[in-house]
Amino acid sequence: MSAMRIDAKVVMLGKESVGKTSLVERYVHHRFLVGPYQNTIGAAFVAKSISVGDKVITLGIWDTAGSERYEAMSRIYYRGARAAIVCYDLTDNSSFQRARFWVKELQTFEEHCKIYLCGTKNDLVEGDRSARQVDYHDVQDFVEEIGAQHFETSSKTGNNVDALFTKVAEDFSNSAFELLSAEEKGVNLDQKKNSYLYSCCHH
Amino acid sequence: MAADVHSKGVTWDTPNGNLAPVEHLPNSRSESPTPGLVEGTEPGASQERAMFAHTQSFEDLTADVELTGSHHSEVEEVEEEQQGGLEGGVEGGVEGEGGGGEDAAVVEPKPEVQAVVREKEEDVTSETWRSHKKHVFVLSEAGKPIYTRYGSEEALSSTMGVMMALVSFVEADKNVILSIHADGFRVVFLRKSPLVLVCVSRSGQSDGELWRELHYVYYQILSLLTLPQLQRVFQQRQSFDLRRLLSGSERVTAGLLRLLEMDAGLMLNATMSLPLCSTTRNVVCTSLQAASSKNLVFSVLLAGSRLVALIRKKEQHLHHTDLHLLSNLAASSSSFRQGEGWTPVCLPKFNASGFFHAHISYLEQASDLCLILVSTDREDFFNLSDCKQRFLDRLKKRNVYQALQEALHTPTYPVSQVGIPELWHFVYKSKSSGLYTSPELPVPYRTEEEQERLMELYRYLHSRLHHPTRPLRSIYRCTNTENLLGWSTSGFELYLCFSPLATKALAMSAVTKLLKWIRKEEDRLFILNSLTY
Ligand SMILES: Nc1nc2c(ncn2[C@@H]2O[C@H](COP(=O)(O)OP(=O)(O)OP(=O)(O)O)[C@@H](O)[C@H]2O)c(=O)[nH]1
Ligand SMILES: [Mg+2]
Repeated sequence: MSAMRIDAKVVMLGKESVGKTSLVERYVHHRFLVGPYQNTIGAAFVAKSISVGDKVITLGIWDTAGSERYEAMSRIYYRGARAAIVCYDLTDNSSFQRARFWVKELQTFEEHCKIYLCGTKNDLVEGDRSARQVDYHDVQDFVEEIGAQHFETSSKTGNNVDALFTKVAEDFSNSAFELLSAEEKGVNLDQKKNSYLYSCCHH
Repeated sequence: MAADVHSKGVTWDTPNGNLAPVEHLPNSRSESPTPGLVEGTEPGASQERAMFAHTQSFEDLTADVELTGSHHSEVEEVEEEQQGGLEGGVEGGVEGEGGGGEDAAVVEPKPEVQAVVREKEEDVTSETWRSHKKHVFVLSEAGKPIYTRYGSEEALSSTMGVMMALVSFVEADKNVILSIHADGFRVVFLRKSPLVLVCVSRSGQSDGELWRELHYVYYQILSLLTLPQLQRVFQQRQSFDLRRLLSGSERVTAGLLRLLEMDAGLMLNATMSLPLCSTTRNVVCTSLQAASSKNLVFSVLLAGSRLVALIRKKEQHLHHTDLHLLSNLAASSSSFRQGEGWTPVCLPKFNASGFFHAHISYLEQASDLCLILVSTDREDFFNLSDCKQRFLDRLKKRNVYQALQEALHTPTYPVSQVGIPELWHFVYKSKSSGLYTSPELPVPYRTEEEQERLMELYRYLHSRLHHPTRPLRSIYRCTNTENLLGWSTSGFELYLCFSPLATKALAMSAVTKLLKWIRKEEDRLFILNSLTY
């Protein structure tokens, strides 16, 4: 698995326990672990291939831990990322404040990284509207202002999860094409070794 | 606890002529009927250099605790008691809950995971909370709660405040509070500025044992933060809430406390190796050695908590404590099963002031073989990922992957292989290799409570053999349910558990027989060569 070439680096960011790992588990392994959650330690990397049109794109997904302990380390996970899925829990307003922090961080340090704001645990607010603490339209306004994408997902039911990652891959596929023609001359051999830092799609 | 130990002061004359120390050439692995009692020649001793940092067992961990007396006294005595074993506390069984998941893709968590959550949700005013056998608390010097094993930290802030007041009160007198012994209880304090660690125990363990456990908890915290970072946050603000930085590590600490109760390795400061035929082991070791990378310091292959192979950088030694912390970390989060883990980790015994970066993954999704690659470079992930792939490819190419998988089905062996009917169980540590071996637990010890009780008995023997002022060479102890023998030489430590029908004479002759058997099987039971990149 790990020997495969990664086309696009995708990073999952967000407060502890918002559901980053569950999202990746659902997308990659089609399952959902119920009950008490197990915090991610550091970060977990997983590669997943996806077809977009007639191309196959391999996403290298970095599922980071939300604990503040790893904050100083976070740059190594998002540096060179082409997409960041910034998660917040629809039932926890403070997690949205944390998402804003990550957006700012990305805007400052990774201007080429596309941002996907993802409200998680949609199943919890669907049955019980009063559980919702983050308003859809407020986020939508924010997302338009910063030029990001907006999704609401449930890893429990699987709702919208594939759509999110498919959109990430499609956007990458489209932009990689532009990038490739623009940067064709810039590829050198040293880059191979560090390709994960500035992962680009060299076909 | 001390009250129900009756020393009858029986002296143990040369128990068996055969077992007197013999002159051995270094590295002689003779088939002599008297296996070496000298360090470096005992069964299981590593052939060349030691694999681990060389330390005495638990003295090392308690060295910085002020204890008077010499460790070198050559007391040889036997102690016999007739009593109903150590007092066992009331421990509720873990009921597995079977909730129905509506969807096939919904996976139920393991019962241990649920247990940790239940423990943290306990009401601190309840009888259940009070009746736990061992509490562990960590607080800051400002008296702020940092960790409690049971219940929530918030609920215990006044209790911890009182603990800090006690510590300060004694310190104001230029004194240090070490422990308080009350009726059936022991309260042991470990002062590691900027932290204070406290253990409240009804387990009958000695102060030394409890300090050792608190040290482990302390090192656990350092492994997540490093010492300089820990000191810095409290220098900046004395009232800092360290839980912010430790959040998400509760399961790691809970796992460690569990290991301290169940795993002899943490007591012995040794690691159990996975029994493996020596040709397979050699291929595994050389393949791991070949899968190197510039900044790799240690490569560790584990099967559960058992060591399969360890390769290290020249001149660098991994300490047992650090290895136990690493292996516990890997076992504590399912995130390492999800993909390849990449995390900063401090190995406090190696160097408490900086982070290494560990690549932690399972060889295959459903496999129990966990590979931990420790590097000095935080940018090394893809290099290490590549090392892992090379290692796996080579194992498969040389057809040992299957053999390794099969060895996992029999990660242990029945004690009957030794051929001593009265022998129920044993733990043998080779001091020079820092590895130990132990057969599977026999029927009477299959339940968790019984297993814990046996460990308690071993811990008792261990604490007598390692007593800070009056260490024993050997100890024989009878309870209603089993007879036990503990024995320490400069080469090995041995703990045996016999049926209550066994006699002391039989126990003594069993030792010789067992040592011979271990010598014969040492290729399989131990890792005899320690490779470097
Ligand atoms: N009902 C519901 N619960 C969810 C959903 N996603 C995650 N959870 C629960 O939320 C908790 C946290 O999920 P994780 O995916 O482990 O959270 P995380 O963001 O990876 O947390 P860290 O690794 O600590 O940063 C778990 O108990 C999950 O079962 C969801 O879509 N619906
Ligand atoms: Mg996670």
